[in-house]
Amino acid sequence: MDVNMIISLQNVNFYYGQSRALNDISMDFSEKKVTALIGPSGCGKSTLLRLLNRMNDLIIGTRVEGKVVFEGKDIYADHIDPVEIRRKIGMVFQKPNPFPKTIYNNISYGPKLNGLGNSDLDTLVEQSLKQAVLWDEVKDLLNKSAMTLSGGQQQRLCIARALAMKPDVLLMDEPTSALDPISTAKIEELIEELKKDYTIIIVTHNMQQAARISDETAFFYLGNLVEYNKTDKIFTNPDVKQTEDYITGRFG
Amino acid sequence: MKWRYLKQTLFFGIVRLSFLIIALSLGGLLLYITINGIGVISWDFITKMPTDSMTKGGIMPAIVGTIYLTVGAICVGLPLGVASAIYLTEYAVQGRVIRIIKIGINCLAGVPSVVFGLFGLGLFVVMLKFGSSILAGSLTLGFLILPTIIGAAEEALKAVPQTFREASLALGVSKWQTIFRIVLPNALPGILTGSILGVGRAAGETAPIMFTAAAFFTAKLPGSIFDEVMALPYHIYVLATAGTHIEETRPMQFGTVLVLIAVVLGIDLLAIIIRSRMRRNKRW
Repeated sequence: MDVNMIISLQNVNFYYGQSRALNDISMDFSEKKVTALIGPSGCGKSTLLRLLNRMNDLIIGTRVEGKVVFEGKDIYADHIDPVEIRRKIGMVFQKPNPFPKTIYNNISYGPKLNGLGNSDLDTLVEQSLKQAVLWDEVKDLLNKSAMTLSGGQQQRLCIARALAMKPDVLLMDEPTSALDPISTAKIEELIEELKKDYTIIIVTHNMQQAARISDETAFFYLGNLVEYNKTDKIFTNPDVKQTEDYITGRFG
Repeated sequence: MKWRYLKQTLFFGIVRLSFLIIALSLGGLLLYITINGIGVISWDFITKMPTDSMTKGGIMPAIVGTIYLTVGAICVGLPLGVASAIYLTEYAVQGRVIRIIKIGINCLAGVPSVVFGLFGLGLFVVMLKFGSSILAGSLTLGFLILPTIIGAAEEALKAVPQTFREASLALGVSKWQTIFRIVLPNALPGILTGSILGVGRAAGETAPIMFTAAAFFTAKLPGSIFDEVMALPYHIYVLATAGTHIEETRPMQFGTVLVLIAVVLGIDLLAIIIRSRMRRNKRW
């Protein structure tokens, strides 16, 4: 593909103990695009996503083979600190998971621990909440607990929290699957807006969502990358029969 | 059909009876102690030094001693216990070794307290030359309540949702910062709840302090942590078995027991208040 590559997977295998979850995946993610990862449950798409910011490190007994190159470096090389990687590659989870802190402290938490001063924090909190289109709803509630927000607001707060770290890449693991349609629509609009500045990689179970918001789509099945192409192409004229069967709802 | 109802009634009956037995014996115990002891309770009893070979006067030094020892035990047991629990649940690679250590800790909770007393005597009093003192007693009691605190802290840490840890780590926050800023604050109320059990035990034990801290009688209050102290449980033991007029001092013995129960409940209450404060501050 013609645009700049930001992350490149080279012959990646991934194991949970003895069982292999990803088979020899090679793919490039383009900068400032939205890439959707689709496929039936257990196909390895979430595993792949969590591999990109080394969140799989938290699971005991996992193993990675191959290279994941980000900014010219293999993030699984020995001298790489996963904490550094996660600062640059943010993540939004399936279920909104704000901290049991105030809205303000949810956003300022990451930057503060990375040494940002208080005066800059106020600006950053406002800026991040604006980016996540949540500012107008919460600007008078900054000292209220984040737990008082609705699910959709909580998820946008989580996005704002990730953005406050000024990452290069934003990973989203089914970010709308726990939300109602209106909140989902808001998040989708937000993603459209964010891709101007960020590379977004999103796992979704929702075909329409993938078609609506992504530029490129990768279809996974049983740990294999079956097809990876422009979203238009995948959804109108896929090369592989399996892809067509899945997106038309014949299986999965 | 009828048999099923009968079984149900029977079962409820048994459960109800069990509860009744517990409630009655506990209530009876408290009532018995109160009736026998309330007569001697007075302001002088809890604020004055003992007089006439401890057959008259108050028990103030024993109250003070027990509070010192209990607070000392918490100061030893809580940080050590929480730190161990953090290591066991957050850092250690879960495997056979850790499992064995955890079983060992659980076994430690069942070790008779006199064993802890001897351990304290050997290590703190003799080997480290602390002598029979508040320091040695606090350390011994601290070790005694350690298994309880580790157990409570482990459960509380495990109860913190994994999603909080993930959210924090995904922001490029280090593991230590995540534990310190997110996991621990959320686990603290649970840790305190469990520790209350340990506190009650520390305040009430006699055997561990017998060799390590408790004095038969002190003429004045302790001046430093290297002084011996009187303590309520030991004072009761002394009055009831080795006093000069055992029969005549019965009411004093019951009075002291009453005070001991009040002190334990008081410390528990304090922990409960601190805990509810923390919960409120969290606003979730």
